[in-house]
Amino acid sequence: MNGAKTCPTCGNEVAPDFKFCGKCGSRVDGTATSSASTPAAKTMYFGTNQVPGRAKLIVIKGEGMDGLSYQLAGNEHIAGRTEGAILFPDDPLLSPRHANFIYREHKLFVRDEGSVNGIFMRIKVPTSIPSGGLFLIGEQLLQVEPSPPDLGPQPDAEGTYFYASPKRPSKMKLVQRLRGGEVGMIYRARGDTITIGREGNDVNFLDDPFISGRHAQLAIAADGQMTLTDLGSKNGTFIRLGDETQLAHGDYVFLGQQLLRVEIA
Amino acid sequence: MLPTLKGDLVITCSRCGKENQDHYKFCLGCGNEIKPAPKAATREPAPLETARTMLPPERKPNAGSLGNEPTPLPTLSPPSAGKQKGGIPWNDSPKMPITPTHNGGGVASGTLGSVTPPPVTSSPGASTDVGTWAASRPTSTPAAQPVLQAPTAPAVEGTVCPSCGRMVAPGFAFCGACGTRMAAAGAAAAAAPRTMYMAAPTATPAPRGRIILIRPDGSEGGAHPLLDGENLVGRSQGSLFEGDLYLSPRHAEFQLGPQGLVVKDLRSLNGIFVKISGEEPLESGDVIRIGQELLRFEIIAPPTPLEDGTEVAGTPNPGFWGRLSVVVGRDVDGSAFPLFGDAIVMGRERGDILFPEDGYVSGTHARISLRDGRVYLSDVGSSNGTFLRVRGERPLPSGSFILMGQQLFRAEYK
Repeated sequence: MNGAKTCPTCGNEVAPDFKFCGKCGSRVDGTATSSASTPAAKTMYFGTNQVPGRAKLIVIKGEGMDGLSYQLAGNEHIAGRTEGAILFPDDPLLSPRHANFIYREHKLFVRDEGSVNGIFMRIKVPTSIPSGGLFLIGEQLLQVEPSPPDLGPQPDAEGTYFYASPKRPSKMKLVQRLRGGEVGMIYRARGDTITIGREGNDVNFLDDPFISGRHAQLAIAADGQMTLTDLGSKNGTFIRLGDETQLAHGDYVFLGQQLLRVEIA
Repeated sequence: MLPTLKGDLVITCSRCGKENQDHYKFCLGCGNEIKPAPKAATREPAPLETARTMLPPERKPNAGSLGNEPTPLPTLSPPSAGKQKGGIPWNDSPKMPITPTHNGGGVASGTLGSVTPPPVTSSPGASTDVGTWAASRPTSTPAAQPVLQAPTAPAVEGTVCPSCGRMVAPGFAFCGACGTRMAAAGAAAAAAPRTMYMAAPTATPAPRGRIILIRPDGSEGGAHPLLDGENLVGRSQGSLFEGDLYLSPRHAEFQLGPQGLVVKDLRSLNGIFVKISGEEPLESGDVIRIGQELLRFEIIAPPTPLEDGTEVAGTPNPGFWGRLSVVVGRDVDGSAFPLFGDAIVMGRERGDILFPEDGYVSGTHARISLRDGRVYLSDVGSSNGTFLRVRGERPLPSGSFILMGQQLFRAEYK
């Protein structure tokens, strides 16, 4: 963003002409938030707040735990089925130790602890999605893969050519992953995009009540870069996180069957 | 056994007025080539099959023989009426526009620039047209039908067509299956075809069986003898197979024994496909060929938790019990279609899984069904048949159609 500053205390984005962070009230004067202000910020942080964390997670949808909230008061907060402070013992889609909510430099991050099913975050803007990237819309777990380059006919070691179905070039494909890991449907893109929704799209999930009419779109650029966009769906489009990812106020995160909203005071 | 998709349709010969079953290519009465009945369309455009030598506009009917038609091809899915000839499904030659028509009556289209075989040195006859061969002979050949010494035509029941070997009712001027003129054939047949093997009876014992190449036009294009014991077939075995780069050097072994013929896949790259008749149980991993499509069937197993009790997340299974994947390359899959409910029908125009661009797939072609926990594959009256890849080895009844490399064959033995 042009000229936006980052609040040294809570990490919130502050408009360039503001003197105080609208979220936590910290002073954000001056242009340099880096070296000079860091010591001061740290002092303020520990001085003004006795608890280092100010975020909480609210269970929006889960196994009978809706509305429950977890204060993130420590430095690290493990979530899982059997381990950590944020426990969902009845959710079989959670690994025993699943995710970690961490404060680092006064910012809240979430990190996958090597879980089987990962962490999904609702996207707010068109988001780059890697090859093999997974995303969730409604009840559908979907995966996108670019098509491998066509090397033309390649004989095997004995000089025999492989017979395959007629080639119908496609740039990428959308794979439906069923619970248990099996592949359900695979759809191959006809052009540069795949639209997904309940009806009238390239791929339609008529029976999924959580999917909007027009829900999301995948696009592949000439360089092979793929982008996932939410088309203003009601329930959102969630992308699986790879690396440790910063969370902001209002973010939604799926852990297993638990949909959590991040609130940073 | 086969669903009733076919058989009820009747096509009236435009020349002599005789009613023919819709899968006949030629009028039983006069030998005129039968066109698929243009339904709504006013008239069928000029035939695409330029290559075909049209039969002389012949002759009047031995009409009145209504009740005397040859028994319909039993298990075979009948060939479509207007199946075009030049199309070579597994070769790259034809480049014709798609002209989808009603079920089975379609003019098989060209190959959409598809399977472009590499620098194959394929002889013109080395490709396969499923469009026509289906007519050539039923899979289950009646015992009455001689195999090797065909021309000894049974006096009473009719004559064996010298071209395709089908029985032709007495008095018919043309073979209903391939259109060969019987009158002329009578003489010629006695002399020429099929005498090859028997010609040298003294030298070595005549081979008990043979693998006959079925040419694109449905005619027979040479044979590979099958001796008692093991017969090796491959790119480097036998002139019939040379030059087909889709055949492995050692591709298959045909074992001819007292029990019959067994074909064994010698771990070939592309396998051996057998045309199915009736219902065929499917196993997970089976590979199917319809038209030009290479499809792999797999069972979708119910989810099982991992060791630590975690279940792999995903879309709740809405009742999918299997999956059909289009194989587009070695270890590369294209589209995949879930299988659910009691049965899934594949076709070019109708059904649950469509291949609208494959002119060699019939309007409705094949069906995969689930019954009592078992999965079955069956053909539903396709023109070109449904093929299943041989897993390991498989007995072959005489008359079986097999696909190896780019070519189609019929295996016959006594």
